[in-house]
Amino acid sequence: MKRVSLGDDADNKTTDEQQDVQLSRRKFLSSAGAAVVSVSLLGGGILASADAWAKGALDKHASSTLLLMARDLFPNDDLEDIHYAKIILPMGEKATEDSSLKKQLNDGASELDKRSMKHFGKKYIEVKKEKDRVVVLEEIESTEFFGTLRNAVMMGIYNNEELWPRFGYGGSSWEKGGYLHRGFDEIDWLKG
Amino acid sequence: MNTKFDLNDDSLVVIVGSGAGGGTLSEELGKKGIRCVVLEAGKRFTSEDIENDEWKMFGKITWLDKRVTAGPTALTKNFPNLPTWLVKGVGGSTMHWAGVALRFQEHEFKMRTTNGDIAGANVLDWPISLEELAPYYERAESKLGVTGTKASGLPYHKPSAHYKVIAEGAKRIGAHCHPAPLAINTKPRDGRAACQVTGFCMQGCRFGAKWSSMDAAIPKAEATGNIEVRPNSMVLRIEHNKEGKVTGVLYADKDGNQHFQKARIVAVAGNSIESPRLLLNSASSLFPDGLANSSGQVGKNYMTHTSTAVYGEMPGPVNMHKSTVVPGLVSEWADNDPTRGHVAGYELEILHIGLPFMSAFLKPGGWGREMANSLANFRNMAGFWICGEDMPMESNGVTLHPTEKDQNGLPIPVVYKGNHDNDTAMIKHSNVKSTALLEAVGATKVNIMGRYPASHNMGTNRMSAKAQDGVVNKWGQTHDVKNLFVSDGSQFTTSGAENPTLTIAALAIRQAEYIAQEMNAKNI
Repeated sequence: MKRVSLGDDADNKTTDEQQDVQLSRRKFLSSAGAAVVSVSLLGGGILASADAWAKGALDKHASSTLLLMARDLFPNDDLEDIHYAKIILPMGEKATEDSSLKKQLNDGASELDKRSMKHFGKKYIEVKKEKDRVVVLEEIESTEFFGTLRNAVMMGIYNNEELWPRFGYGGSSWEKGGYLHRGFDEIDWLKG
Repeated sequence: MNTKFDLNDDSLVVIVGSGAGGGTLSEELGKKGIRCVVLEAGKRFTSEDIENDEWKMFGKITWLDKRVTAGPTALTKNFPNLPTWLVKGVGGSTMHWAGVALRFQEHEFKMRTTNGDIAGANVLDWPISLEELAPYYERAESKLGVTGTKASGLPYHKPSAHYKVIAEGAKRIGAHCHPAPLAINTKPRDGRAACQVTGFCMQGCRFGAKWSSMDAAIPKAEATGNIEVRPNSMVLRIEHNKEGKVTGVLYADKDGNQHFQKARIVAVAGNSIESPRLLLNSASSLFPDGLANSSGQVGKNYMTHTSTAVYGEMPGPVNMHKSTVVPGLVSEWADNDPTRGHVAGYELEILHIGLPFMSAFLKPGGWGREMANSLANFRNMAGFWICGEDMPMESNGVTLHPTEKDQNGLPIPVVYKGNHDNDTAMIKHSNVKSTALLEAVGATKVNIMGRYPASHNMGTNRMSAKAQDGVVNKWGQTHDVKNLFVSDGSQFTTSGAENPTLTIAALAIRQAEYIAQEMNAKNI
């Protein structure tokens, strides 16, 4: 599956999966409480950045930095940016009421830039290669900031009911009667 | 559920804990007409509370009171306050078990005789044999409804896709995979439904197909009219008289109010962390090192199981989550064969966890593309949890924190666990065998996971023939105090390579007979 652009043209696409993405996006936008949101693409199509985030405690640059970091932590090329954005956005909102989180996230984003500048002479989101950005992330692996992001992204991607079908995980099954009559013994590639 | 006893009733058996040990003991004693109060620290859950959601259930039922993880393994760093994975609720950790119901092997009751002295380990023979326990195993298999046993008459579960993959891999390396004996109904039996294969055995069974103390033992105990279960009742201290006999227990209710429940007999079944903690916290001028601790062995010899996990990424979808959690076992290396480079044995237990837990346990603290790629292969995963016998070591155990206190003002437990060289050698052997098996059936990558917080906790009030070597005798009665019993897995002298629940239940059935006999004889 290709990554779906979050630009305005996304609304013209019609596959089921893309409709799901649009629905998710609407849900996302409405939960953000933003009337007008412009979605732009940065960093060679990698990043979605929403002005709505300015309402949170992170500026646009810090948001973009954390969004890219989120993807670098658990990169799934098949997953649209929105799924990573849905992890970072609530953190930015929470940080408006939590000054220590606000400081941790903003300082963390600055630290990424500082270290990227040192290694590569450019800011984190301008470093093109994932393996180069990983060098920077490895340096801050033991920080509280890193732990906050890692845990949030791990839970946001893998403990996300909406994404479970994408990973082939079934989630709750009792209300469907379990798998006794739904393929518990099916396997098509095993040759005995 | 309507039976109520008075706090001043000193004719009662007070049972601390309602899991595999306490629940079974209360059921057995209740059926014999012996009146008991079961004090359970956790709340009472109903089947409506049981969701198929790993983290939600983790948050809902896990014992999360603060503990300190200690010792030289990665567990200390990865799970600093969660050394164990146990349940706080009526039914205890039987909510969180996959139903694997194995008997110990004959030699596992006499590891000292079998292997002699092992440097750095504190190995002892059990004061009972398999032969003595066999009739009680049979009764436990009937009570729990263990598939594939004569006692239950239940057939095994049919092979799931996960089972088929492992069975084929085993065959290709000359080993044998067999269906796991599970305390999960394959047919409606004993008032409980048949398994629907939800794939969530470890979070409580929504249908009650899995035996648990919550779904079976406790309701049956209450139905006798002789048992009162008091949830939200955390026992703080066991009191005794001048003669050194226990007289009752002090407990805190859900509002933190303290009550004293008198007792004729006290049976401690709070699992291998809380049970020794309670005895240590009950120190007095008569028992300065803790109740029933003249041997100094209370809290020592703490064992888990070697318990690593190994997951292969197979060439096609397995959908392991569409299975009973443990559909089968490879028991090839469960025997005691020192030529492998270690004594004692291990079971390879086919076991799945869901995607949320896989992300947390595949590589605790991990991140990056390689890990994400493995998780993206979740649907293709197949693998094991490894249940290997742990060596008892005096240095592994439960102690009281010198300064930190819980909500009731009692020192929190510090749980120290290191590996004996034998454990390390066994882990290595089992990882090599699991990897070979998974690769034989086409795994393109094999992930070896470290130990995660233990659900099998044993040995901290161990059974011994001589009073100086352990805490309880062959009946689970403490050597020092005649009317004080231990009824959970902390009695285990050694851990065996088997999941402990069936043995805990068999010991509780046997202990109930002894308690009844001794009460009749007025010995206690």
